[in-house]
Amino acid sequence: MVHNRPDTVTVEVIRNLLMSVAEETYGIIIRSAYSTNMKERRDVCTAVIDPDGNSVAQVESLTALLGSMLSVVPNIYEKFGRENIHPGDMFIVNDPFHGGGNHLPDIVLAAPAFCGDTLVGWVANIAHHADIGGKVPGSSSGDAVSLFQEGIRIPLVRIREDGKLNQSVMDMLLVNSRVPQERYGDLTAQMSANLIGIQRLQDAYERYGDVLISCMSELIEYSERRIRAAVAKLPDGEYSYTDYMDGCGEKYPDPLPIKVKITVRGNQMEVDFTGSAQQLEAPINVPWPCTKADVFYSVKAMLGPDIPANEGINRAIKVIAPKGCILNPTEPSPIGCQIDTSQRVPDAIFGALAPLLPEQIVTAGNGACTTTLLSGKVRQDSDEVFIFHEVIAGGGGACWQYDGLSGIQVNMTNTSNMPIEATEIEFPHLLARRNELKEDSGGPGYFRGGLGIQRELEILEDNVLYTGLGDRHKIHPWGLKGGKEGAGGGFYRVAADGAVTHLSNKVTSLPMMEHDIVRVITPGAGGYGDPLNRDIQKVLQDVIECKVSVEGARRDYGVVIIGNEYDGYQIDEGATEAMRQELRR
Amino acid sequence: MGYMIGVDVGGTFTDFSVFDLDTGRLINYKDSSTPEDPSRAIVKGVQDILAQEKADADQVSYLAHGTTVGTNALIEKKGAKLGLITTEGFKDTMEIGNQKRPSLYDLQAQKPVSLIPSGCNMGVKERILYNGGIDTPLDEEDARRVIRFLKHKGVQAIAVCTLFSFINPAHERRIKELIEEEFPEAYTTISSDLAPEFREYSRMSTTVLNCYLGPVMKKYVHNFQQSLKDIGVQVEPYITQSNGSIISIKETIDCPIKCAVSGPSAGVVAATFIGRQCGASKVITFDMGGTSADISLIENYSPKVSNERLVEGYPARIPMINIITIGAGGGSIARIDEGNALKVGPESAGAVPGPACYGRGGTQPVVTDANIVLGKLNQNRILGGRMKVHLEKAYQALDEYICAKSSLNREEAANGIITVVNSNMVRAVRSVSVEKGYDVREFSLMAFGGAGPLHACEVAQELGIREVIIPPHPGTLCSLGLLLADTKFDLSRTNILDATKENILLFNNEFSDMLLQGAKALDREGIVQERRIFECSIDMRYQRQNFEINIPVASGVLTEETLEKALSDFHAEHKRSYGYCNENAPVQFVSYRVSAIGIIDKPEMEAKPMEPEAPLPKPIEVRRVLYQNCTEYLESPVYSRDDLLPGQSISGPCICEQMDTTLVVPPKWVLKVDRYGNIVIHYNEVR
Repeated sequence: MVHNRPDTVTVEVIRNLLMSVAEETYGIIIRSAYSTNMKERRDVCTAVIDPDGNSVAQVESLTALLGSMLSVVPNIYEKFGRENIHPGDMFIVNDPFHGGGNHLPDIVLAAPAFCGDTLVGWVANIAHHADIGGKVPGSSSGDAVSLFQEGIRIPLVRIREDGKLNQSVMDMLLVNSRVPQERYGDLTAQMSANLIGIQRLQDAYERYGDVLISCMSELIEYSERRIRAAVAKLPDGEYSYTDYMDGCGEKYPDPLPIKVKITVRGNQMEVDFTGSAQQLEAPINVPWPCTKADVFYSVKAMLGPDIPANEGINRAIKVIAPKGCILNPTEPSPIGCQIDTSQRVPDAIFGALAPLLPEQIVTAGNGACTTTLLSGKVRQDSDEVFIFHEVIAGGGGACWQYDGLSGIQVNMTNTSNMPIEATEIEFPHLLARRNELKEDSGGPGYFRGGLGIQRELEILEDNVLYTGLGDRHKIHPWGLKGGKEGAGGGFYRVAADGAVTHLSNKVTSLPMMEHDIVRVITPGAGGYGDPLNRDIQKVLQDVIECKVSVEGARRDYGVVIIGNEYDGYQIDEGATEAMRQELRR
Repeated sequence: MGYMIGVDVGGTFTDFSVFDLDTGRLINYKDSSTPEDPSRAIVKGVQDILAQEKADADQVSYLAHGTTVGTNALIEKKGAKLGLITTEGFKDTMEIGNQKRPSLYDLQAQKPVSLIPSGCNMGVKERILYNGGIDTPLDEEDARRVIRFLKHKGVQAIAVCTLFSFINPAHERRIKELIEEEFPEAYTTISSDLAPEFREYSRMSTTVLNCYLGPVMKKYVHNFQQSLKDIGVQVEPYITQSNGSIISIKETIDCPIKCAVSGPSAGVVAATFIGRQCGASKVITFDMGGTSADISLIENYSPKVSNERLVEGYPARIPMINIITIGAGGGSIARIDEGNALKVGPESAGAVPGPACYGRGGTQPVVTDANIVLGKLNQNRILGGRMKVHLEKAYQALDEYICAKSSLNREEAANGIITVVNSNMVRAVRSVSVEKGYDVREFSLMAFGGAGPLHACEVAQELGIREVIIPPHPGTLCSLGLLLADTKFDLSRTNILDATKENILLFNNEFSDMLLQGAKALDREGIVQERRIFECSIDMRYQRQNFEINIPVASGVLTEETLEKALSDFHAEHKRSYGYCNENAPVQFVSYRVSAIGIIDKPEMEAKPMEPEAPLPKPIEVRRVLYQNCTEYLESPVYSRDDLLPGQSISGPCICEQMDTTLVVPPKWVLKVDRYGNIVIHYNEVR
């Protein structure tokens, strides 16, 4: 379709309108969904997509879910043919090898909006479902060897046709979940959001006509112009970096490289992952749409945080990863814990461009999506199960002007925590003993890296199964410009008698007994600049705030602190000067 | 008889609305604010008004005051030095918050500044279970140690918030007693008194904010009270709360957070009142000033209330009139960005340097400059003639910052700025209406503030709204609202129960306790029985959901019948809000709310005779004005609002100027003055 180029004022009006559609549909899912994942953790993304399948407006929620929004409609066109899309259709998919974007728990629903015979756009949303079958409750296990173990695979199919629910598809899905009522509530919320989104697009088309559609194209071109302008400012050249995953559980104990070579040429950027680890028989492979989303996020965060997130950004970036590598695995590779590897992609890209962008890049953050899954019987005499799913944040990177933030989500994830009180009301089998920042976990630096979190959950009955998924336990978050690395994370079982067992970074369905404690420590973040030059008053403040220990202040910063908590800490300035000189040698 | 006085303190001006009970006159008065001690301007203003009226101080029969002292202390980070006591193992709850980063893509965005000094967040050994049972009894020695430590650290206030205190407050109450023993001079708030609802971070944050403001507010209101006494005012003054009601000084000292962001809420109260005069039960309020615009929704003559909002980045769980604020006002700066898009705001030129056309040093074009260029604002003098306009400077700003960087000519640039700023308003209005399931076309738009009436009709037209209401004095609606408020105590409890008839006794227990508590609060305010109203409501959700919808229920005892009604109201509201409902799904009751209201005497506004046949006043001038969606300037008569009589009607295009604002009536809109002096403007497509 050829349209006249709309004026800049109308484009801004339409941008406001489309963002309000994306935000409204997002609000509907968050407020009316059933599972904790959506309602408290907000593991949801919504978007408006143009008739050609390009994402135009996306709500700023979760970066990990971007990939699906960018690819779902092109995949629908490829499978069904654009001419076979009709009013009243709604599509569902979760399998990234068959039109979906992420791992299987993330279910996408997309629906076209028609005015008469004219397709005026699409609305789509994606949300993380707590359980869609598979070998473990919560679906994501740390030891899956094949996609078939990770839950029901939904290829692109219609869940609504001619405006009516396809009950057969729904029944098929529900019977495959351990918590079917919850799935029903969540899917209803997702469908309802799309139906309202369609209505809004129809209203918009009635008001603006074809100008609506030409504005969509212009909004995409706007983002493309902005990102290209930013890329063009970088010097042409090749920039490389290799970061590492810890490995994956006991099966793959050795570090796995994530290697990137970024080539900047004019206003175009090529991001090549050749040389990264081969795909594994373990669930940390990243499906291709996710890899592209990881790159999309990284480039936008570095070069244009305020550029509208849409297809336009993608046009300036070419992503390469050989088929069969960890970032472009073959079917049916397991992908349940792809997010941990996805978190390493921005780290590698930032590492490569840090020398070029010292004022844009932050040091490596916690670099994980530290997940705790606990499941068991609701009552001993019933078959109903509970599934508790929580992601715990960690340190955020430091930069050239600030310390890193503590206890926050970084890069590809940004879910909320579940309030302790909401957790225990909903899961009376759990009792939180601790949820605090972990002292000394922030990487020492002129600007200190953010701190990780220590969470302890006591289990109140026998045979609750613990699955723990994480990374950056062994390979710690790196610092920049002389800043030291942050502390790694760790999973532990503390038995009722006090015996502590250190667990691997992928724990699967470990039975816990009454009064056992699951201890989760999340990684900190790297420091920025030389810690021996850090303002000693800031070191003192860190000690007072329990962010750095007295020993840590001496060891990492060369600051000698005397006194005690009650009477107050002070700096021994003479000793500090001597200590700093000593350490500089 | 005597005088009722409402005082609204703003950053630049302190506005007074005075109602003379003997004659039924409403007097407006304005004076410069005194930010270092806002009560000085109030006292001076009251004295000036009394002198002007030749009245004595003891004739003041009512005085209510909307204060920004709390808001300013928060913005300037000048609150009290405070300590936090919580459950051991959870001392970092305020810093971790909801663990989301402040910006999704901006890697260097910062969290809000901590309100607790370093090392003053402390845990004590104690733990209550989700069902109110005690897992670990309070270790009193540990608590005393922590209190002494905080005293030693020099804190002025202590916030106490322990896990599950909303269901069993025993430990918090005991800690409070221990504070009274060890450190009686500390200002103390316990979370189970202030906001006994679940979700520890919100509850803790509310408690911390309250303590942060407590000592500051206490000092201010005592001073204010004394200054009024010193000039002979006999009545006890009231302070406004964010829920739109007024409250005595004593309550203000205990719960300052309830007054912290009360600024715009009084305006919404007045808008509700004016809506009643006009018979408009559904109103969107649109208060546009120099830097921002406040928008809220009124349905069935009552403003929508929300139970949580962010205050300086921290959640505050207290009922507040749901007002959303966007950075779009007369001073919002327009620019062409790197991708060639026209953007307006949120940056503002403020009062200094101000719009380019003020000639005070501003060079960038702002919304006011665009309105001047388009002829909507007077091109010679504005603000009642006090401010000279430099039209050429507005042209220059547009040429340099917009036209030179785009293909727009001067008129297109000016009109484009208005289109973009209006579309920001439209988005904000949609977020309180359409996105909440309301059909915005059924609402009237009530515009006030200095810039609201300039934009109102064109914003309404974009939304499909067909009625716009402009109050007589759009600049002083907040102080007017202070004369129209009631006293109100909002109480709440959390107890998650299945919404079945078997639990009716339990629901009624929750309510009867709160009704008693509310009655006691009204006793303290000296409200007599026949002036009391109790409104009850329940936060409900489907089992397994986690966001609740607040549904009003019959006051008093819940019966099987009223329970049925409450449930069917919930299903209907769920359908309206989210597009679906599930009548077979089990419903849970989560929190129970009681508003104990004491009705306060209000002024009765004088209705003037209608004179529809009276000849129209002579226009001050005829100006060429370029309206939205018009291709050329239209000759538009400009009237002085003071010259219009009740019952008179004028078709657009026309302009009405008054001291505090300018009203733009585009083509196809017809204005009419009602008997109270309100201007009601209707869209009339056929003409």
